[in-house]
Amino acid sequence: MAAAIETKKLTKSYKSRTAGKINVVEALDLHVEEGEIFGFLGPNGAGKTTTIKMLLGIIYPTSGEGYVLGKEIGDMAVHRLISYLPERPYYYEHMTGPEILKFYGSLFGINDPARFQSLLERVNLHRDTTKTISQYSKGMQQRIGLAQSLINDPKLLFLDEPTGGLDPIAHREIRDLILSFRDEGRTVFISSHELSEVELICDRVAIINKGVIEAQGKLTELLKGGRIEITVDSVPESLLSDLRIHDANVRNLPNGILLDVPEEADPNSVIDAVRNAKGNVISVVPRRKRLEDLFVETIKPRSSGMMEGGTVQEKTQ
Amino acid sequence: MRPILAIAGTTVGEAIRRKVLLIILLIGLVFMFVAPGLGVLSTRSETTVLKSVMLGIIQLTAAVIAIVLTVYMIPNEVERRTIYTILSKPVQRWQFLVGKYLGAVAALGLMMGLMSIVLVGVFLVQQEQNRNVTAVTELLKGPIMYFVQMSLLAALAIFFSTFVSPLVNFFLSGGIYLLGTVFNPFFTTMQENPNTPWIANKFATLVNIILPNFASYNIQNTLINSGPAIQNESLYYIQTIGYGVAYIIGLLIAGIVVFDRKEV
Amino acid sequence: MTPLHSRMLAIGAAAFITQAVLQNGVGSQPTPKDFTSVTDEKSGKTFKALKKGVSNPLIWGTSSHYAVDFAPGKSGVSSGLSPDQLLFVLGGFRELIAGILWVKADSFFDSGNYDAILPLIRLVTILDPHQIDVYATGMWHIGYNFTDEEQRSDRRYIPAALALGKEGYQNNPTTYEMYFETGWMWYHKIDDDYEHAVNLFVEAQKRADMIPARKNLLAMAYQRDGKPEEALNTYLRLYDAADKVYKAEESFGAHQNRDTIESNADTTLVRLVQRGWIAGKEGRSTAPYDNSPPFDVGFSAKVTVTGPRELNVQGTWGVQPVGSRIRIVLRDADYPGAKPAGLDWDSSSSVNLEPDKGLTFMQDGLFVKNRRFNRKLDMSRDPTMYPFAKDKYVVELYYNPRSAPPHIQDKFSWDGSGMTDKNYLNTEVRKGQRVIYAKLELTKDQILRRGEWADRTPVIKTPNYIEPKNQYDPDNDTVIDIPSLRSGK
Repeated sequence: MAAAIETKKLTKSYKSRTAGKINVVEALDLHVEEGEIFGFLGPNGAGKTTTIKMLLGIIYPTSGEGYVLGKEIGDMAVHRLISYLPERPYYYEHMTGPEILKFYGSLFGINDPARFQSLLERVNLHRDTTKTISQYSKGMQQRIGLAQSLINDPKLLFLDEPTGGLDPIAHREIRDLILSFRDEGRTVFISSHELSEVELICDRVAIINKGVIEAQGKLTELLKGGRIEITVDSVPESLLSDLRIHDANVRNLPNGILLDVPEEADPNSVIDAVRNAKGNVISVVPRRKRLEDLFVETIKPRSSGMMEGGTVQEKTQ
Repeated sequence: MRPILAIAGTTVGEAIRRKVLLIILLIGLVFMFVAPGLGVLSTRSETTVLKSVMLGIIQLTAAVIAIVLTVYMIPNEVERRTIYTILSKPVQRWQFLVGKYLGAVAALGLMMGLMSIVLVGVFLVQQEQNRNVTAVTELLKGPIMYFVQMSLLAALAIFFSTFVSPLVNFFLSGGIYLLGTVFNPFFTTMQENPNTPWIANKFATLVNIILPNFASYNIQNTLINSGPAIQNESLYYIQTIGYGVAYIIGLLIAGIVVFDRKEV
Repeated sequence: MTPLHSRMLAIGAAAFITQAVLQNGVGSQPTPKDFTSVTDEKSGKTFKALKKGVSNPLIWGTSSHYAVDFAPGKSGVSSGLSPDQLLFVLGGFRELIAGILWVKADSFFDSGNYDAILPLIRLVTILDPHQIDVYATGMWHIGYNFTDEEQRSDRRYIPAALALGKEGYQNNPTTYEMYFETGWMWYHKIDDDYEHAVNLFVEAQKRADMIPARKNLLAMAYQRDGKPEEALNTYLRLYDAADKVYKAEESFGAHQNRDTIESNADTTLVRLVQRGWIAGKEGRSTAPYDNSPPFDVGFSAKVTVTGPRELNVQGTWGVQPVGSRIRIVLRDADYPGAKPAGLDWDSSSSVNLEPDKGLTFMQDGLFVKNRRFNRKLDMSRDPTMYPFAKDKYVVELYYNPRSAPPHIQDKFSWDGSGMTDKNYLNTEVRKGQRVIYAKLELTKDQILRRGEWADRTPVIKTPNYIEPKNQYDPDNDTVIDIPSLRSGK
């Protein structure tokens, strides 16, 4: 499948007076397939928004290459095929929903009231056409943002925190919309902190930390490595030692002993071993690997100290 | 062209709803309504005072509006991230900048137009005996020239807004406006005086070329007083307006060059 | 660089060059002195037109004279920067503020605080150069109101008054008023160099708003300038205009005006003959006429410094008492711009309201009674006005028949042909004019009665001065001797 987004060693650095050169994004090799929903994750200040801005041609890379829909980043022709919904967007408050769509439509040379109406229906704002943006709730603002991002029938959408600050119902609505985009054959690039949302809808993810991609790939592959928890009692120490050797974690609990074995290991053989040793099997609970776990595992080793939202912290030597 | 006009349109819509600008405009209009009463305080004729005060208010109010309108224009778009939703569309940066400028000028024109209507209205009411179209059209030359002057000021402020903060821009644009009005004749004198040393003469020429000449739009003296007149009016207006347009184009292009490489 | 950028840079460069060209112009740019004021008769507006012979530039510069000329007013201040430019921030409020300030100045006049008015005059005329009343009143104030204890004017201010008047008419060329006021200052206050008054009154007459009654003054100024034929022509021209007005209106005022002018014209005509002027001009003998033979005025003078800054001036003058007034000037020997019995009053266009207080210039008139004059001039009560800071001084005694009243001019004529003096007739100090002029010298120590003069009384006199047998007391002498101007007896 063709790549919707492809970057090779894409780098963005700034000069700091005290710390010299700072790489906000360093040697990024990103690959997003067409027609998939791609999650771009990372803590605050990791370089997510910077990467998106570079891909959109809003800021200029220091080095490296980037291609969007097969064209070099910054190519104006590509802008006709992409769209962007920024984090916490602001729209001209005096305008109504239809006027917003008309404005953004005019930037493409589109003036199709029927199309605007259908977009409003799609995002469920067709009943509030006389309200101005200043009267919109947060959810409504996000939905009008999605509507404007669809004006040009884009092949690729960049969504930055599309569900940020929304209630659960609004979350669901946005999620369903995004899924429908994929069903329509569009590629969706989501930058988000909402790991549960990403886990639900994304096909592939990349985790970026301090400007560097720490992990990238299919979710199913990345989330391999779950565990199975088997609670037992009356098990001889010799068996426990043997299990430890075979990559089992053993923990004492008030009501027994917890055997934490990898997903790949055959739980039945463990159960059989316990029973053969005249032990009791109290419970068997599979624990799947969560995205959150992956995230924390990936981020923790490189992090040193707190990051403040969105800014690059200089490491004190 | 369409993106430029669309951006200009939203800019006008925003500008005429900005409370700060509306307050400044309102204060200006209130002063204009009070102007006829000021004639009694002075030994000059009521018509002279009326014309001079009202033209002065229009100029001062327009200058403040022009600066306040434009210094925040680009920085606000960046801060509120509206610029991203626009630049991610097939809109070139220069189209964005030109669109914002044209919107600012259109908004300024609307506000000055309103003040001019009040000017004409108050003038006609006061001139019970002397109401005629010629007097009114003569008077309107003042606001028209001020409009070109303020368009130049707006271009200057937009140029600066591409690389300085709004507060710095406020004082920078205001300062250059003052300099361009006050010091242009001074440097002209230096250019013409045969006793000026060569280096001072060249310096004055250089300054005169670079500093925008706001003074040539101040034609109020010929409108207020019956004596002095411009010898060849059409040539004067064509040349002065042409100068303004050329300078505005230069400023916008300079702004585009800076804005093109600006990280937003 | 992308093609778009290249195109933009090219356009930007073209725009920059265009504005620079429009700003500075192409071709030789005229300077303000290449312009002259031209009034359009139909609209009454004044234009700045290029003088003949000055060529038009290819492109006018916007930074040139349009902006300078139509910047709010021209100031007489000689610094490089016109101060009214600094006041532009007041925008259109200048006229209003100027008006309010002038109303305030009025209160200073009432309270006699004359010094406070000076800066206001300057400020108001800068703010509003079209407020004519301020120029006119300001001129009068500066020229007339600074006096000493004996009501002598401080003539050091006259140049400033004249410069203010000049600025006034340059800024308001369409009205007669400032030309008239400035001319009046020459005619009445300076009372000398009458061609200035004539020129200014001529300019005033060209303006449509001149009051008819004031037009007669031009004729009188011509006479003072020694041009009685022009005076007569002026009267005749005024008569024609007055006659037209009368025929149209037939009002009492118009009738009166016409008759007055007619009477003046007749009188002038008679005088032209009687004073031997016509005969003289036609090369005929003036013997039958009043100015012949010329009368020897028998001038002599003595100046005694009776105390520090106190003079007593005595002398002889054989002319009848009424209307005879000899000018006395006491000034620094090196007073800048001085000329015999006067100054180059309008040598500067700069309105300097703080003349050099180290200069001394005293001018007064000596009245004659019974063929003698005897006058005390006490400057001791005004040391600020008469500082006597320099070392050398001159005392000038001067008489010009052009200033004489009609009954004396009937003898002396306008050109002094009926006047002579054995010792002091002078045709040099006023070119082409017959005047009486004598110059004596004093030193600082003499005037201040210091040093060697502390105990000695300085006396300077003309060589022909003879002490009178009786001490002459002009105030108590009840017999007035009126000699004949034919025989002197």
